[in-house]
Amino acid sequence: MAAAAAEATTDGGGKMIILISADGKRFEVTEAVASQSQLISNMIEDDCTENGVRLPNVDGDILTMVVDYCNMHAGDAAAAGDTMKASSTEEELKKFDAELVQALENPVLFKLILAANFLNIKSLLDMTCQRVADMMSGKTPEQMRETFSIENDFTPEEEAAIRQENAWAFDD
Amino acid sequence: MRRTTSDDEALPRCSPPPRPRRCRARPPPPVGEEAALAVADGDGAALGEDVGEVGVLDEVVEGVAVVEDGSIDSAAKRKGSLCQQVANSEGNKKTRYSRLDLPEEIWCHIHSLMAFKDAARATCVSRAFHRSWQCHPNLIFCIGILGSNFINKFDRIVKKHSGIGIKSVNFEYDSSYNTRRSTSISHHFDSWLHIAITPWIEKLSLRLSHYSYNVEYNLPCTILSDGRASSMRHLYLGSCSFHPTINLDLRSLMKLHLFNVHITGDELGCLLFSCYALEWLELEHCDEIVCMKIPKDSMEDDSIFGDSSNMRQMQEYRHDNLQSVVITCFCSAKSLIELTCCILDCTTSLEYLTLDTTRGVYSCSTGKHSQCFPMDKAMIPKANRAMLAIETYIERKVPSTVKLNVVKPCPRCHISES
Repeated sequence: MAAAAAEATTDGGGKMIILISADGKRFEVTEAVASQSQLISNMIEDDCTENGVRLPNVDGDILTMVVDYCNMHAGDAAAAGDTMKASSTEEELKKFDAELVQALENPVLFKLILAANFLNIKSLLDMTCQRVADMMSGKTPEQMRETFSIENDFTPEEEAAIRQENAWAFDD
Repeated sequence: MRRTTSDDEALPRCSPPPRPRRCRARPPPPVGEEAALAVADGDGAALGEDVGEVGVLDEVVEGVAVVEDGSIDSAAKRKGSLCQQVANSEGNKKTRYSRLDLPEEIWCHIHSLMAFKDAARATCVSRAFHRSWQCHPNLIFCIGILGSNFINKFDRIVKKHSGIGIKSVNFEYDSSYNTRRSTSISHHFDSWLHIAITPWIEKLSLRLSHYSYNVEYNLPCTILSDGRASSMRHLYLGSCSFHPTINLDLRSLMKLHLFNVHITGDELGCLLFSCYALEWLELEHCDEIVCMKIPKDSMEDDSIFGDSSNMRQMQEYRHDNLQSVVITCFCSAKSLIELTCCILDCTTSLEYLTLDTTRGVYSCSTGKHSQCFPMDKAMIPKANRAMLAIETYIERKVPSTVKLNVVKPCPRCHISES
């Protein structure tokens, strides 16, 4: 069944690929959309996607976001070859990206980062990592730990020494 | 058994020498399907371990590609970071997810994206962050933020980062904190750049404040010599002097931007000589350049005849003293036509424009050489296209004050010889 679906082609002639999330959700995307993942792009090159690609460490809700992102960005990837398909303007993309990450809190944001890293989608990884970097901005180390549930594993002496060394970063 | 993980991983490395990846290749799955594939690679990331525990990882479903986590070569496991603690301390899946953490390499990447001051504060968060700071591949400093006594502070930071293969250096010098004489500052700049610039450097941006009139820094070209700049892709210099006289190895340089830099046309020519990969050249307020010679070699571009629509306009281009421009190996590349049109539009002082469709170097017409510098047979049609492009797009733009000289292949040396 999966094989039959995966053989299907779109109107544009692009081959379809089935992505299967950890919880068994299936996503049908074009090769162009899926190829934004370097991992899947390599698999396409190796001809091993025809029966679907199972991604056992990406949950369905995360994969939904990833697929949305890739669908949205398929235009700019394909734009070089086919300007007709570049349906989203740069501004629309920026807005879409901003809305996608802004709404996310931990742990969803972290899961999205892990998925982007695993699937090797550099632009998504950079964007989500930048979001975390932005969330750290202006915070004290205590607030950073609290925001991202990071354990303080320094001894009090070590922490004091490191703070001393970087005292300039605490000036306002 | 085929591997699908990519060698160029999503995340940049922290340390310069590539760490050998520990790959354990899995025996081919017992199924006969050609499409079946399993990839086991890397040490497994936090989430990868999670999945392993719930028993999905080791299962190869017939006909379905199962992909394990190969994209993160997680340092977490080896270094005993938070992820491992999370994985170890919490057995069941629910609580694990409530304290989901990222592998150390991703934190390292995030750390490198933070503003420098934030990144320095983050050093105090945990051991993993402290390690990440030590291998922070980007040194981004607006020196002003260090406040008074910045030299000692900065000295310490730079020395801490020595030997890690810094990839990107961005020094900004804000004159309002300048309490020292420029000679002393120059000395420190030299020593910091010597530490920071190693063959791993990809981006160097050095901007002294436009208003730091009391600071004169001359970037010694030795800092970029001996292959130290061979990986550099982006060079920005602002408000300093740069006088390259030796051939610097800048084979990877793609973007060069000089703002208010004291450099002569000849020196710029010397700088450009080894820039085979250059795609972008931006010169602003470099008033000592009166003659610009652009060696153009082996640049592959789209021809203007392929698509003459949407010619770009470069607006920021201003050279009020530029009198003579020579472009050798002129071809019909769109970007080159754009550049030439832009030079004609914006350079009011221009007197001579030489577009040389040969390789330049020397010619028999000067009488100094009996033969022209040789030209490949294959270049003749290219030169013909270039001449057509000049006729079509450039000639009509040349104002009466500019003398256009188009150098064609020599009928004696280049054409009859072939």
